[in-house]
This record gives sequence, structure tokens and C-alpha cells, in this order.
Amino acid sequence: MRPAPRLARVLRLGVVALVVGASAATGVTAPALADRPQPVTPRAAVAGDAWSQTKSMERQFVAADGTSTAISDPSTGSPWQVSVNVDHTQNLRGRERVGITWSGAQPSAGRANDPFGPGGMSQEYPVVVLQCRGTGDDVRPETCWTSSFNQRSQVSRSENDAAWTEDLHASEAATARISSALGEVPGKDVCPDIVEGEEFYTRLVPFVSAKGQVYPACDGKTMPPEAAAEAALPANEIAAFTDGNGSGSVQFEIRTDVENESLGCNKLVACSIVVIPIVGISCATASSLVDQEMSVAEKSCRRTGQFAPGSGNATNVAGDQAVSPSLWWAESNWRNRFVIPVTFGDPPDTCDILDPRAPTGFYGSELLAQAALQWAPAYCLNKKRFKFQHNQMPDQAGFSLMASGGGAAALVSSKYEATGDPVGYAPVALTGFGVGYIVDRPGNAGELADLRLNARLLAKLITQSYTGSSFGAGHPGMEQNPWAITKDPEFVALNPGLTDEASEAAATLLSLSNSSDVVRRLTEYIASDKVAMDFVKGKPDPWGMRINPSYKKIKLPRDEWPLLDDFVPQGGTECKAKNPSTYFNDLAAPVSTMRKIAEALLDAWPNVQTRCDTDLSVTPPIYKLGRVERQHYGDRFMLGIVSLGDAQRYGLRTAALETGKGRYVTPTTDSLTAAVKLARPEGQRGPFEMDMVKLRKAGKAYPGTMLVYAAARLQNLDKKDAAKVAQFVRTATSEGQRPGSGNGQLPGGFVPIRKSGATQALYARAQAVARAIEQQKVPATTPEAGPATVTPGAPEAVPAADPAVAAPAAGPAPAPEALTMPPTKAVSSEWSGRLLPVLLMLGLVFSVVSAVSRVVVLRSRR
Amino acid sequence: MKRLVAALVALVCGVSLPLAAQAAVPYAQIEGTGSTWSELIVQQWIADVNANGMKVVYTGGGSTKGRKDFANNSVDFAISEIPYQGTDEQGQADTSQGRDYAYLPIVAGGTAFTYQLKIGKQQVKNLRLSGETLAKIFTNQITNWDDPAIAKDNNGRKFPSLPIIPVVRSDGSGTTAQFTTWMDKQHPSIWRPYFGRSGLTSYYPKKSGSRMVSQAGSDQVMNTIKGFSGNGMIGYVEYSYAINANYPVVKVKNAAGYFVEPTQYNTAVALTQAKINMDTTSQLYLTQNLDGVYTYNDPRSYPISSYSYMLLPTGGGDQRMSTAKRQTLADFMYYSLCTGQTKAGAYGYSSLPLNLVQAGFEQIAKLKAADPAVELTNRDVKSCNNPTFDGKNPTKNLLAQRAPKPPECDKEGAGPCGTETGTGEPATDDAAPPPADAPPAGEAPPAAVDPATGQDVPVAESGTVPVSGGTQDVYASPDTLSADRAGDRRPFGWLIVVELLALVLLPGLLATALRRRLTSRGAAR
Repeated sequence: MRPAPRLARVLRLGVVALVVGASAATGVTAPALADRPQPVTPRAAVAGDAWSQTKSMERQFVAADGTSTAISDPSTGSPWQVSVNVDHTQNLRGRERVGITWSGAQPSAGRANDPFGPGGMSQEYPVVVLQCRGTGDDVRPETCWTSSFNQRSQVSRSENDAAWTEDLHASEAATARISSALGEVPGKDVCPDIVEGEEFYTRLVPFVSAKGQVYPACDGKTMPPEAAAEAALPANEIAAFTDGNGSGSVQFEIRTDVENESLGCNKLVACSIVVIPIVGISCATASSLVDQEMSVAEKSCRRTGQFAPGSGNATNVAGDQAVSPSLWWAESNWRNRFVIPVTFGDPPDTCDILDPRAPTGFYGSELLAQAALQWAPAYCLNKKRFKFQHNQMPDQAGFSLMASGGGAAALVSSKYEATGDPVGYAPVALTGFGVGYIVDRPGNAGELADLRLNARLLAKLITQSYTGSSFGAGHPGMEQNPWAITKDPEFVALNPGLTDEASEAAATLLSLSNSSDVVRRLTEYIASDKVAMDFVKGKPDPWGMRINPSYKKIKLPRDEWPLLDDFVPQGGTECKAKNPSTYFNDLAAPVSTMRKIAEALLDAWPNVQTRCDTDLSVTPPIYKLGRVERQHYGDRFMLGIVSLGDAQRYGLRTAALETGKGRYVTPTTDSLTAAVKLARPEGQRGPFEMDMVKLRKAGKAYPGTMLVYAAARLQNLDKKDAAKVAQFVRTATSEGQRPGSGNGQLPGGFVPIRKSGATQALYARAQAVARAIEQQKVPATTPEAGPATVTPGAPEAVPAADPAVAAPAAGPAPAPEALTMPPTKAVSSEWSGRLLPVLLMLGLVFSVVSAVSRVVVLRSRR
Repeated sequence: MKRLVAALVALVCGVSLPLAAQAAVPYAQIEGTGSTWSELIVQQWIADVNANGMKVVYTGGGSTKGRKDFANNSVDFAISEIPYQGTDEQGQADTSQGRDYAYLPIVAGGTAFTYQLKIGKQQVKNLRLSGETLAKIFTNQITNWDDPAIAKDNNGRKFPSLPIIPVVRSDGSGTTAQFTTWMDKQHPSIWRPYFGRSGLTSYYPKKSGSRMVSQAGSDQVMNTIKGFSGNGMIGYVEYSYAINANYPVVKVKNAAGYFVEPTQYNTAVALTQAKINMDTTSQLYLTQNLDGVYTYNDPRSYPISSYSYMLLPTGGGDQRMSTAKRQTLADFMYYSLCTGQTKAGAYGYSSLPLNLVQAGFEQIAKLKAADPAVELTNRDVKSCNNPTFDGKNPTKNLLAQRAPKPPECDKEGAGPCGTETGTGEPATDDAAPPPADAPPAGEAPPAAVDPATGQDVPVAESGTVPVSGGTQDVYASPDTLSADRAGDRRPFGWLIVVELLALVLLPGLLATALRRRLTSRGAAR
């Protein structure tokens, strides 16, 4: 029997990790850790899981006379005392993020726009974090992963870039003009780029795969298969930045042999995270006491950097090689490594691709995506269960498909008008949405970890009332509006100490383009706020900002957020002039899934579509339009709507939303539970209603809380399908509510629905609806089948009444539709039709009144 | 020892040990980029196979990017609507740069034309256009919705005077390539003078001074058209995007003279005429020649239908490949070609017919040829759970056979039908799709006469009163006004009755009233 897997491992937010150090630098006090609510992570804490160590390190130059000078921490005059902490190291899953923090390191300089993979190589004094195979002394540079060859090898360098040949701590063989860290240097047939001439220096650091294959790493072709620049899966190794106080942090993504076969980490193959604070190459005895007379390599080795601590390097200018991360493998750097052993959990059992059972699709809500990924194997692995599949699509589309017989059940978060058979709603998940963000504090001082937003700020964002740039500022009626939220005094007061620069990405909230219950919930939140609604209705905020006139008095709440602006700015670059477009649509550029938003946040790549470049190299010139560039590390500012499941899976931060005056609530187990306590059930088998006004009054309830229901027909559903839906509801509300990362368990971002406690009513409702679905006996005329106030005219095409007609696999059986053009509408004036009788009636009434009054008056005179 | 005990316990308890499903070959993550045309269903397949332990990363970016990334060895696979072109628009190489590959058809679909057109405040949802009109719209020859050609396509229904704003893709796009291929083949006299040469392009040429708008990616095209400023816009996307957005699409005229929507059925019917290059020795093996699709005269055929392809790395020494990656590719494709096709319709695509699935298996077999350790046992047509499957006659497409006949009001010179588009539901007069072997649908239903205009209005076969397609959005409202206003007759009728009564009664009443007044005054004195 397999050992009971300690599966209760879910991604953790590196909340703790990222507060350290950052606050002191900017003078902003982050709330004490104890005050911080726990994120919605059902993971049980495992003791002894964290790791920390302190090491002392310094750089030495040996002069021609044998004297040695040390470069050490200027604040203490002694060697750097670097401490590294890792928040968890055991039972990791593929792509799980591990929080790493450090302090006491040398401040970094020349910050890269993108510090991952080859992008981080031009920085100075960074902290290199790598994943390597082996533990302890088994870890060698050759077992450490890099995604490009020039992150590990130095091929045909000039003497000026050959600092490693002067490495004080390296062996003689390692400082030769042409050398390899492993075995012989391959010949021209394998490595044609290695130049033999006197003036060229080469050091190869080959990669050895888990299977023992050696990749020489002298060019892109001699690297393992997973190595690629610009791959779809971004690099995980990073040259991270240390702030002015010597602290820094990263969330490091772990790769197993599934993601990186060549590296080959799994339960049986031990691996480590290697952290190397770069202090610079220590240099061996110089040839001369006089600096000018030293060799080029000797001088190069003794360089101490081109950039000031804390500075950026947006243009990616090469810094000094001796203090760059590209020589992480040189003995002077390698000896300062921290080797953090990590272990991996059992990979979850997986379903057989040859399983002949046809899957049964449930259609709808993306909120359930992360849970469905974990739930699906628990169905196909169990022969007694059906093969469950979650097909994501807009809630409304999923519901229609279910109602028309195209799907066994829909997954939705609110009530939809059932046009045919009655529909029951069984709650299967308690989760919600969040306003995800990635925000860097200015001056390379780390990431913001406690963003706060209120309904009016969200209203300003979604109504596109920030102008974005000088183009948008030309919009009539918005002359006084800030260009971006970072310039809005209301936002600054809530979130002090952030950048005051405006960017187009900071003028928008990346959201969904299609109909979604998430959009409904978000707009319910705005609609429940008087101040926000005053703004929407046209009242300027206290600083004079007005709503974008295109959205003035827009009706809220709503399922789909429309793009209402039509302002086309004039002028600008030649490219803009030649390609006029609706500027505010390009700013908002909503997408069709929340997963895309989560990915955009992870990459800090706004979906703003205002890029307009002219390629003059061809005639006529080609215009390149589309998405702007990725944001630079240190200058990131981006907001987007994400599901709580995705936020937990990818370690995204979500903003605290205002509920009462001065009260801000983040999504936590407690705040979601508090919200669900207020939920009131509708009818016998309807969904629950979570009134936003009550929820805000309660104070500590999270406004983005949402329930996901399995909705299915209570009549005329195929018997087998009905049994499957009932089985799903029962499994989802029992086994599916056990927190953990294993098959069938509930991932982070969800709060368990339990038989007792605050979620008791949800549980009971789910069981009752499951029974009703199974029995298929609810008459069509129950009150919840929808009031009879259906829109006049069309009794909707009735779905096939005979359940046998609904072909099992053949997709939706088209309902008999009457597909003709309606007869021309009776051409008449409604006004005349109604007005005339009304006027006549009025005339009649008045004449009667006048007659009566006359009689009365006459009598009174008497 | 412990293990043995555990195994015994398991046996005694009747608990089966979890079987390592792919004991022979493990999976490794595969990565790809390319087509946004097929991205919506590919992402769903990726979510599905997660249960099988397969990790697939796909980030879209457009077909052109996909082909480039594949050539640069930065991805394991790519998805593209068109094969490598040799040289691209800028005269640069569009080849795999020596990387061995095979084309593998993955899903079929229709390139849909989605639009925003309002009459007053009401959105038109049943617009019909012929290919020629579409080509002229996208080459700036027809620039206003009140153009007579559009009225003619809609059986005389005139649309308001409103400039047409075509929305095209700004990035290198397979959707653009499919659309321009069709224009080049079907309307060369319109397309070629505009383009300045013959052939297709992945980058849509935009003429300065025109109203044409370009946007990157299918999502952005959809956003632009749906937006408030989108009235008058028309653009091209895979049908799936329109369905997801619940937005109308143009019914395009086919060679039989019917205006049809790119539903899974109509696309399947059209693609029965696709000529697939079956020369296994050709570099273009399995690529499509759609000439027959464009001109197929089945009334159910959607003319601009096509397939999307995966570029499969088949080289034995492929730098990025390993046994585990090849196995993942093979099983991911096995799922996609078979079970994955069952949901094509719900997402706005169309399932692959079995001959292509079979050919697809031959391509997958090349992975095993490159690496004998790849396990392909039982991954074949027999175990394939594909909705078009008919073991006896794999060249037949069940979906195409089941496809309902379009309603008569969608025929040229009739209608237009009032049905809403962009819902994924097939439009038909038939009560239900005929069984596989049923003869083609019967004659056109009897026509009725519109009470107001006196025009023929076909009645649904059931003989019930014609109703609109379910919502109260009115579709292109007929603007032919009848001479009188029948609806106003009743109130005016009442008015006449009242007036007559007044004529008779008022004089008498007045007289009595006056007399009373006089007598009462007299009495008061």
C-alpha cells in the first residue's frame, strides 16, 4: 500500500515573504504579520517545513606583493552576513511557488527589465536562484538548470570579459584559456563557435541530464531539449534584486521531471534550490602593483560595477562581468552558495488515456476551473463513477446548453431564467473573484503586498474614467481627470508610497469581454455603494474627477461589461495618425477568460493594445499594432479580475475591498464564510442570494464571495445523465470538499462546504437538489419554474420532449424551430391606438364630474 | 516485507492498487504557440488531459508566430491554419529552417463574419451576404450598409445609410490567411487588384484613407466590433468567438443559393469537399485544398470552412524532443482527434471526419518511427470516440449526413429568416435532424402571405404560427411599408362611432341643458 500521501500541500502566497524588508525602505509600515488574515488556503501547516541559514562572504583582491584586500560590508566593516529563508521545502508539486527571502546581502545595481533566464544577466550583485539536481555536495554547476547556454558558458570571450581566469579560488584547470567544467572541450564538429586564437577565452559549463547525458552548452544546439529562449513556459531561474538594505525576495517556481525532464526532479531524484548571492570574483595575485600595468583580465577581475546600488538598467547595457550573475559557477561565487534541499510529493494518479468511457461534460463557470482540474481524476480513476469533464464557457452559454439538452448540467453562479423544464441549483463550491494586482514599490524596494480598493475606485477603472495618456486626456468631459489611478488622490490616500507616474496599464482594470457572473458580482459591489453610484450618475469626486461621459448613468449591476467609448484621438505619431482607433477600447482590451488575466498578471504584461510602431525598413512602411511590451521589474503596476482559485494556484495577490468606512476585507476563509452566512436560499431548489448591501453592513464579509452551482433540469433529463449529475453533486460536496492538492480534493481559493457549521445550509440544499435531479419528478409548474411574465410573443421553442431524442453523444439535437421571418409588425402607432380611447375616457369622466359637481354646487347654494 | 503485507492487505480488502496508467512511458510537459483561430478548443483539451497527467502549455499568439517559433526550436509544437509558405510577405523565409515536421489536422471550423449593425436601437441579427459582397466590403468597394448589393442579398431589405467599417487583424494571422485564400480563389477580380498581386496573405493589407480598422488577436477584433463605437463594423473570426460573445454572424451565400451560418453541421458538410493532399511523400501531406469547399452546391454548405493544423516534430534527432515529450504529444493528439472532437460543436467548431482522423494517426505514427520507445498500442480508429465515426465507412461524415437542411427563407430571393445567428444552433425548417440514412429533407414548406405587406412568408413545417427565434430582438426589420396602417383602424373606428353618437345625441342634450339652466335661473329669481 502506498504511504499516506501528505498531500495537504497547496500553493502558498508568499505574503509573509514579501513584506520583509520592503516596508522599512520606503517608510511605509505594513501591518504586523499577526494582523494579516490568512489567505484562502486550506493547507494544514506542516512543522519543520521551512528552511534558513546564514553565511558569511566577502571578496578578496591579492596584490602583486601578496597582500590581500577584502571588499566587505561597508556598514559593518566585516564580511557580509547573508541569511536566506525559504518558506516551505517539502512535498512540492510541479510549478509550485516557493517563497525565498534574504537579508544582509550586497545591494544590487542595474536592475533588469526581466530578471528571469537570460534577461537578468546584465545586472550587478544580484542573488542568483537556480534549481539543481542533487543535494549537499552532489550539487555541481553541471546539475543546475539554466534555459540558455550563455547563462552557463562563456564562449570565445575577449580578455576584457575573461574575469574568471583570474579567480583566486578556482583551480588552475578552471582558469585556463579554454576549459570545460566537465571533461574535454569538444571539437569543432560539436562546438564550432569556440575560437582557438590567443585573444579568445572560453569556459564551458556543460549540463548533465538526469539520465547522465552531457550537453556541452557551447551554443543553443548543444543544450537540453527544454532549454529555449522565449519558450511558452518561462524560465524559472532568476537573478534577483537586493534592495538598499540588503534584503530581497522571490517566489521561485519549482519544476518536476514532468515540466523539465532533463533536470529530472521527482520523488526519487532529490533536488535542491541553490541561492548564490553574487559578491564578485575574488582575484588572484596580480602581475603588477601598479594598476595601469596589470593585464586586461586582471583589471577586468577587479572591477566593482558600473551602476549605482538600486539603479535600473532598462536598456540592458552590459555591466562589469566580475560582479555579474553570468559567472555564478565561478568558484568565488559558487563557494557562497546556499543549497536548500527540497522533496517532492507523489505525483497524483492519472486517468488512462485509453479509458473507453465517453466523458460527460458539465458546461460553465470558470470559477470552478482549478477545483475541476483536481476533481476530474477522482472520477475517471473510479470505475463506479462517470467520467466528469468541466467545459469552461460563459455561465449564460453553459446554462443555455444545459437547458436545451446539450449538456447534462451547467455550472453557474447565479439564477437564470429557465424557459423550459424547471432547473435545480446545487451548491458545489464556495469561492469568488478577486482584484489581482502586481505592483512594485518605487526605488526597487520590493513588491506591494497590501493593496486596498473601494467601490468608487473600481467604478472609475471600469468606466474608463482615467485617461491613460495625453491621447485620452483629449476626451471631452474628462479634462480634469487623472491619467491613471496612481495619480488619483483617492487611491494615493489609500495606498501611500507608490509611484506617482501615470501609465496606460494603471488606467485600466483587465476584465472579461463576455457575459459572466463574475462581472455581475463586481458590478453589484459597485451598485451597492452610494458614493460610487453618485460618481456613476455624474457627480464628480471630491477632487473634481468625473465619470467618462460615455458611461454616465450606466445601469448596474450587469452580466456583461460593454465598451461604450467612441473617442478617436487625433494626431500623435505617424503610425497613430495612419491607424486611428478607439483609444479607450484599446486601453481596456478585455479578454475572454480569467486564466488569460492571471497569466497577464504573472508576466506583468498588460493587455493594453495601444502599441503602434512603424517599420520603415520596407516600402510602404509596415505598421505594427497591438499589445504593449511587458512591464519592467521594479516598475510593474497592473490590475485584473481573477478567480480566487487561479490566484492561489499562481500565487497572485488580491486587493482588499472596502466594505464599511475604513474597513477593508481580503478574501480569506473567514471572510468568505462570513459572506455565506448571509446567504438566503431561494425557493426549494433555487440558488442562494447573497445580498450585497447586507454583506457590506456585516463588515468582515468579502464582497467577491460567490457560490458555484451545478444546475440541472428537474424534469425530462435523461435518466443516466440525471444519475451522473446527482453523483457529481454528492461527491463534490463530500470528498470534493476535503482541502488538499490530491485527486478529488479541494484546492486553495475555495472554502470547504461542510455538513455542519456555517456552510450547513449549502450542504443540505445540495443533497436535496441532488435527490430532486435524480428523481426527475418536479412538476414544471412549481413556482420556481419562473413567473409567467415571460416576454410577450414567443413561447420559446420547446426542447425535445422525448428524452430519447436527445442523442447521447451527437451534440445538441436541434429543437424544432420555427425559423421564418415574423410577419411584418402591424404597422400602427401605439400612441394613437392607446391615446384615443384614453382621451375619450378622460372626456367622459370630466363631463360626469362636472355634471355631478354642478348638481352639488347647486344644492349647496340652496 | 512491508510492501508485501500492504499488497496482501490490499488484495484482501478488494482494493485495487492504483494502476500506473502509462507505466511504460511517462509524460513530460509540451509547449506550443500559434493560431488563435483554434485556441478556444485547444485550451479546453489542455484542461481535459490534465486528468491524464499531461501538462500542455499553449499561449496562442497567431499562426505566423507559431510557425516562426517552431522553426526557431523554441516550442515543441505549433498550430497554424496554413502550411509554411516558403517566403513570407516581407520576403523573409517562412520555412521550418530544416526542422522535420508533419502536418496534423486537429479541428475544423468556419471563418465567421461578425458585425454590429443597428436599425434605430435594434440590432440586426440575421444579416445575409454573398461572397462577392463580402469581398467588396473588405476591399473597400462597398462602403455603406445601404448599398444595393447588400439589399439584394437580403431579399430587398434595405439597411440604413451607415458607413461600413471593416475590422481586420493587424498581427500575422491564419484567420486572415484563410479569408484571403478564399477571396483569391473565389473573387480574384476583386481581391487581386486590391492586394496588388495574387495569393494569400497573413497580414491583411490596409489602404491608407480607408475606414478599415486593424486589431491584434481574435479577442480584440471581437471587442472592437462589440463596442459602442462598433456600429457599422464587420470583422472575421473563428465562429467560436462569436458564440462565446453571443454575437451575430453573417449568413454567407453558398453555391446552392442558400445563406448559411458556420454551425458544426454546415462546416462539416462543406468540408466533405476538401481535397486533402494524400500523397504521403509530399511535404504538404494532409494539407487542404479548399477549392471544392468554396463551390460546393449542397444547400447546407458553409463556404469558408477549413481545418487547423498542428506542426508535429517528427525528426528522430529533434533537439527539443524526448521519448516522454513524444508520448505526451501522441496521447494529447489521440485525445484531441477522438474524444476531444465531441465537444467541437458546443464550442463553435466542427468535428474532423474519420478519414482525416485516420490520416492523423498515420502522422502520429511518425513519432514512433522517430523513437521506437513511444507507445501507440490501441490508439487507433477503433478505439476512437469521435462523433463522426462510422466504422464501416470511414469516408462518410455522420455529422454532415445529419446536418439539417437550411430553411427556405434562407434561400436567395426568399425571406430573410428571422432567426438569430451566433448561437451555435442550426437553422432549419426540419423538426429534427434526419437520421443518418434518411433522404434529404422534403420540399419547401407551404408559404403564407404576410398580412401587412402581402409578401410571401414561409411557414414552419409544423404549421404553427411563425414566431421569432425566441427573443424580442427584432431582426432586420422589413422596411417595405404597406399603404395603410391596419393597426390603427380599430381606434379610429371607435372614434367614428363616438362621433356619430355625438352627432345624434349632442344637439338634444344641449337643448335640454340650456332649457334647464334657463328655468332654474327663473326659479332662483
